[in-house]
Amino acid sequence: MNYHKNNIFEEIFRLYRDYGSRVKRLNEEGKKIIGYVCSFVPLEIIHASGCIPFRIRGDLNEPVTKADSILEPIICPYYRSCFELCLKERYNFLSGIVIPHACDSMVRSYSVWSYSLPYSYFHFVNVPTVCGESSFEFFNSELKTFIKSLERFLNTKITEDDLRRAIRIYNMNRDLIKNIYEFRKTSPPLISGTELIMTLIVGCSLPVEEANQLFDEVIKELKIRKSSPLRKGPRILIDGPCLDNIELIKLVEDLGGNVVADTICYGTRDQFPMTDETKNPIEALAERYLDKLNCPKTYRENKAGSFEGDIANRFWDIGKYAKQFNVDGAILYIYKYCDPFGFEVPARKAYYNSINVPLLHIEDIYSSGTIGQLRTRIQAFLEMIE
Amino acid sequence: MVDEKKDIKPKKRSTATRAAASIGPMVKEFITGTLKARAEGKQKLAYTFIVCHHDEILRAMDVVPLWTENFAGICGAKRDAERFLQRAESLGLSRSLCTYALCGIGFDQWREELGDMPPNAPWGGLARPDFMISSGQILCDPRTKWYQASQQFMPDVPIYNIDLPYPLFQRDRDHREVWDYYHKYIVKQLRGLISFLEEQTKKKMDYDRLSELVDLTDRTWNLIDETYSLRKAIPCPMGTGDAMNTMVPLCFMMATETAYNFFLDLKKELEEKIAKGEGEVENEKYRLMWGGGLPSWYALNDFNYFNSKGASFPVETTYRMVVNLNEMDIPQTNDPVEHIAWRWLGFWTFWYDKAKQRPDSEPDVERLINWIEEYKIDGIVMHEAFSCRTWHVGLLWQLHQLSKIYKPIPIFEIGKDGEKRKVYRELPSLVLESDIIDITSYSEVDTRNKIDAFIETLESIRLNRAN
Amino acid sequence: MELYFAGIDIGSTMTKVVILKDGIITSIIGPTGPEHKRLANKVMEDALKKSNLTLDEIAYIVATGYGRINVPFSDKQITEITCHAKGVKYLFPKARTIIDIGGQDVKGIKIDGNGRVNDFVMNDKCAAGTGRFIEVIAHTLGIELSDVGDISLKSRNPSTISNICTIWAQQEVAASLAEGIPVSDILAGIHRSLADRIVRLISRLKIEDEIIVTGGGAKNKGLIYAISGLLDRELRVPNEPLITGALGAALMGKEILERSIKSNIPIEKRKRILEEVEV
Repeated sequence: MNYHKNNIFEEIFRLYRDYGSRVKRLNEEGKKIIGYVCSFVPLEIIHASGCIPFRIRGDLNEPVTKADSILEPIICPYYRSCFELCLKERYNFLSGIVIPHACDSMVRSYSVWSYSLPYSYFHFVNVPTVCGESSFEFFNSELKTFIKSLERFLNTKITEDDLRRAIRIYNMNRDLIKNIYEFRKTSPPLISGTELIMTLIVGCSLPVEEANQLFDEVIKELKIRKSSPLRKGPRILIDGPCLDNIELIKLVEDLGGNVVADTICYGTRDQFPMTDETKNPIEALAERYLDKLNCPKTYRENKAGSFEGDIANRFWDIGKYAKQFNVDGAILYIYKYCDPFGFEVPARKAYYNSINVPLLHIEDIYSSGTIGQLRTRIQAFLEMIE
Repeated sequence: MVDEKKDIKPKKRSTATRAAASIGPMVKEFITGTLKARAEGKQKLAYTFIVCHHDEILRAMDVVPLWTENFAGICGAKRDAERFLQRAESLGLSRSLCTYALCGIGFDQWREELGDMPPNAPWGGLARPDFMISSGQILCDPRTKWYQASQQFMPDVPIYNIDLPYPLFQRDRDHREVWDYYHKYIVKQLRGLISFLEEQTKKKMDYDRLSELVDLTDRTWNLIDETYSLRKAIPCPMGTGDAMNTMVPLCFMMATETAYNFFLDLKKELEEKIAKGEGEVENEKYRLMWGGGLPSWYALNDFNYFNSKGASFPVETTYRMVVNLNEMDIPQTNDPVEHIAWRWLGFWTFWYDKAKQRPDSEPDVERLINWIEEYKIDGIVMHEAFSCRTWHVGLLWQLHQLSKIYKPIPIFEIGKDGEKRKVYRELPSLVLESDIIDITSYSEVDTRNKIDAFIETLESIRLNRAN
Repeated sequence: MELYFAGIDIGSTMTKVVILKDGIITSIIGPTGPEHKRLANKVMEDALKKSNLTLDEIAYIVATGYGRINVPFSDKQITEITCHAKGVKYLFPKARTIIDIGGQDVKGIKIDGNGRVNDFVMNDKCAAGTGRFIEVIAHTLGIELSDVGDISLKSRNPSTISNICTIWAQQEVAASLAEGIPVSDILAGIHRSLADRIVRLISRLKIEDEIIVTGGGAKNKGLIYAISGLLDRELRVPNEPLITGALGAALMGKEILERSIKSNIPIEKRKRILEEVEV
């Protein structure tokens, strides 16, 4: 794929707006596309099987109507939006969907998804809740089950070499993303938070080789950029779950903030952990997805023996990136009905306090209608930390 | 904080059985017992959750369980949960989360801040634990996050989190292909619990005692299954209202002789009632199933309201957490821990095979169909509690799928040609909405209106049934 | 320096303007109207007329409130959180906690010794915790909104309204009336219910004295009494509780101009047009 070198971000915006257009075309050419949600699905395995993993997104502007008759509204509103779009045939090019054990919303609606949607392949990856030695043993077996199910569906074999190749290319992908993040360190950042999240979202909708090419182009563009697209303002870290659209970050930046760091699912949570290429591929993947990925859903034993020590361990990534990217403040953005993040709010707040980073905590539903309320809160917060 | 001691006390609920009526004092005694144990300091006390299949392990090590969900339920039933929920909110927790957990965390923070029980704590309050045993079990996130959140206020109290997964139902798969490694994992998790308890109590596990307790539990399971099956009788001798009481020995006292004896007594009582033709309702017109959802603990009176309209509840899915061991097709083993793990897997996958045999069925739906037939059910009631994803997400879909694949009620219909013909329709259903303990979500007027409308539907079907 | 500053607070129901020199010269309150594009400029004109000033004589104008975006005659827009903090600190130097009870939203603001905001909470998602709740109930009872507070204070035996949802509360009120419960008791119960919702929200902040209540709700003595009872703390109310936002906005303008003069960095100003505000 050849991207117009001068207009890489315009190209990215087009792919963001027409999300899924690329894989739709690839599907018409005969490729199999496997949809997924969340950080816990091992993409390397899907890639190794010869299919293209495609991250399912919601749509803030699409009212949830069809889903309501068969799915309770008390689940994660983002996840509900994803389901709504599947029901409305936005993702008809999918051959199947893979859902991980990430949260109750996903687990409890798995049957609803698999019975209501027309795709031929459904698989549930049972990621363990705790992170002990036996958990890795279990997860290894679960990953083997996942591999077998894909082999059965596609009538193919996935070899260890296939997995190694997939791991390599996904590690490259993550290296490129880390590279892009370096451009956030300047003051003001050479890449805006809006541009970055858009890039990462688009990356999840493309075959990984094409995503890598895209990221290459982005890096080339950033290297020659002379000035920031933003005016210098308070440096903000965004913390939270799946933010699959640019709205929140764009709002922060429209109001004068510079979004320079994050610990969200499309950001460092998903993209920074690397898979160990020296180990057995399945073991390495189990380790990456269960241990290296830092998500509230994974229960980490309190080995510190104190609350302060425990939160420093659990939220190490917040502390690390707050420092590395020199942030002035953070926004903890959580969806209503989210148990994994919801229960952690007091602990996260205490952690931000301990590292002296002012925090704005927002609980939102997934809808474009709340922008007005968000605007006031974010603006007040930016005024507060100025 | 709003003072919830209402001027008008809710009318005292009546139960169909003496056994159910004995529960209130039993629970109070249990709570008092835990406070005494805390004061004496000879036994270890553990916060923990019900139905983790670890009762035998706890009892064998003489650990006193503090059932935190039960305590929250008590606060709810006494209509004294709001102040604890508000306390949790003031810490930054959202009201959209599990209200049991909010109540618990709010209570813990308050107790730790005061260094003493919160004023007028229900039945003396929840004792401070020596350790906490979590278990998310794949189906409940709060069970993994709750104690972790409370630990902020009790940093010296350690947690052991037992991971207890089970394979989710997938139509084109055989769960037996994977359950060996599930079993292996669960066994290791349970052995990890045993090590943790040995460390905390400074005692070694007595495996003979454990085996005895496992055997007792198996027998209790079978007894409960037999006892509850008696409710198939017409008229039904005991309803869901009572079952929300009898769940206490089932969930909080498993692996004790007390629980076993309780169900022996209950079984006898039901057999006597059946012999006399005595039902939960004097003039039983409609037999309903409580198809899913935790009850509103502050509104158990609503069952009496149903009764007053001639509706009985022979069966419920909620808290029916046992299956007859003889019907479970699980590998045999002499090792008690391995047996517990098989029992766990056997219970959660019990309906999988049957569901595969019926087109478009699914385990929960299959269970509904089987029980509709066995208990001669006329209609289904579901309760959607807004704060609990674990037990409530999927209920709407179950009703939807049930009505798609199971139409057992014959009614006469006039066709376009003017001819009368017999068609089959699905069971009528009612969905009630509120919460487990947050009473602000509940409107009695609204709920009773819905029940009235449902009864009218049931009556209309009863009168127009084609036979 | 003889400089005048103006702040305009465009709320959902009322628009407030304050013109400031060394002290408050003028304060005007007018209805925002169904579409606030019509009236914000009118209120501004009234304020200018009353103080005998022209628009150009005002050195800096700050707009705040719900309708603060796109005010064509303001120099800057700042949120009502920052502005309320400033305004209250000016009137009450010892203030640390502010509770603003508006027609459609409720805010809690924590300020430090310098009047800077260090935490805030807002509830703008539901009528139940706002002035709207009282309005709806007053309407149900056929009582003037301005009388509800005093009537509620006459109660000896406040009833308990258990429902927080405004719609259900209305039903409960109707049922209570039918049962013969005195209006004062019902109103006292309603006030306690609203106070409870408000306290629930602001409990997320670390509440410290002095606690100041602003907004339309501050004029309701019954509500103040109920909140004070729940918090078990004294509350203070400004003489004119509706203008603290506009006052703070004017003070912010003063601060911005003074800072710019001190640091020699000129502030950007755009052309001001005293015309209808675009929604």
